[in-house]
Amino acid sequence: MPLEILLILVVGGISGIAVILHLLGLTSPRRLRDAEDARAAWLREFPYELPTDITLSADQRAALITTQAGPGLVWCLGADTVSRPLSGSDLSVTKNGLRVDFHDVGAPHARISLPDADRQKWRDLMRTA
Amino acid sequence: MTDQLTYPDVVNYAVPFFIVAILLELVWIVVKGRGGRYETRDALTSLIMGAGNVASGILLGFIAWGFFMLLWQITPLDLGTSVWVVVLCFVLDDLRYYWVHRFGHRIRWVWASHVNHHSSQHYNLTTALRQTWTGTFTFMMIVRAPLILLGFHPAMVLFCGGLNLIYQFWIHTEAIHKLPRWFESIMNTPSHHRVHHGRNARYLDCNYAGVFIIWDKMFGTFVPEQDDEKVDYGLVHNLGTFNPLRVAFHEWIGIFKDMSQSGLTLRERLMYAVAPPGWSHDQSRETSDQIKASHLAHHPEDRGTPGFS
Repeated sequence: MPLEILLILVVGGISGIAVILHLLGLTSPRRLRDAEDARAAWLREFPYELPTDITLSADQRAALITTQAGPGLVWCLGADTVSRPLSGSDLSVTKNGLRVDFHDVGAPHARISLPDADRQKWRDLMRTA
Repeated sequence: MTDQLTYPDVVNYAVPFFIVAILLELVWIVVKGRGGRYETRDALTSLIMGAGNVASGILLGFIAWGFFMLLWQITPLDLGTSVWVVVLCFVLDDLRYYWVHRFGHRIRWVWASHVNHHSSQHYNLTTALRQTWTGTFTFMMIVRAPLILLGFHPAMVLFCGGLNLIYQFWIHTEAIHKLPRWFESIMNTPSHHRVHHGRNARYLDCNYAGVFIIWDKMFGTFVPEQDDEKVDYGLVHNLGTFNPLRVAFHEWIGIFKDMSQSGLTLRERLMYAVAPPGWSHDQSRETSDQIKASHLAHHPEDRGTPGFS
């Protein structure tokens, strides 16, 4: 197959499918319904580190998980969730909330959108959890 | 000896079919409200990984081709180009695929290339195209050497490999539940391959087949899909990014970071590259065998059931 034709097919195919998916409303639909949903998302990746406390973000796209082994974070990625312990991570304040850097190539950072009123509370929980 | 043998580049010719099939699966899911899930950025990443795989083949394919042609010059055998030779080549290349795929899950150096194919939490036809960019660097081309030394022309071997890849495309779907029993017993199917993509302890490291599931049955790695345990797709610890560069290279960087830690013995450094994924010198991580053992410690009732035997 001539390279130009292949290129047109690949670029056109990828772009077309992405546009259709977006127009169908299939972009980043995940929200954590409640604490139980966040708990299930955490246990999915760390089945033996049981949560002792769960704090949902106001937009329900992240949850701070407290366990006996230390704090962890669940956050929404696309239609799914990702979880990571917070040990060894760096926390910084952003315009819209907080940013956690995990120093992990496969999960470099998570942005947590938080209203001003919640920001300090989350920082304290992350420090003390 | 036949040097100038050519076959169509079937994977490239299949691109329009891939696009149409993805759209049909999407329509099916939207209309029926079942049979799988799609998410824009996940699908986009998978498709870009597929395009990158084609590009890496164009850019780096000469390395494997040069190696194969060197073997072809050495071997005194030439099985010719009859249809039966192509059929035999296809079957033996599928056996080759089984072992390369098994190595891909049991040797971290090879897993670094293959991991991206498992990095989606979705299982749809775009997942099939989430292919490696770094396969050349695994040196798994060596596993094809016996085929060429036996007298199968390199072009024929690559043609059969392309057909194998195309076969595997359609099995990446939740839209098909189970096929007739005779087909499920011989061929790799959506059901068998869903299990392979599972991150459930039960489903780790099984069903490596490409086209014929018989290899898994022969070599003891077959696990049937369980009606009472839905497959949870993705990695043991899922990626927190859709960035294709991170998807493609994260495990290679992980190997480099692990191997270059201070205070390790030479053996420990080597083990970070060649031991099964999850191996660590301080037992701070878990291999799939250890994950299964942990599961059985918490769920002893599962001992002896499929995936835990």
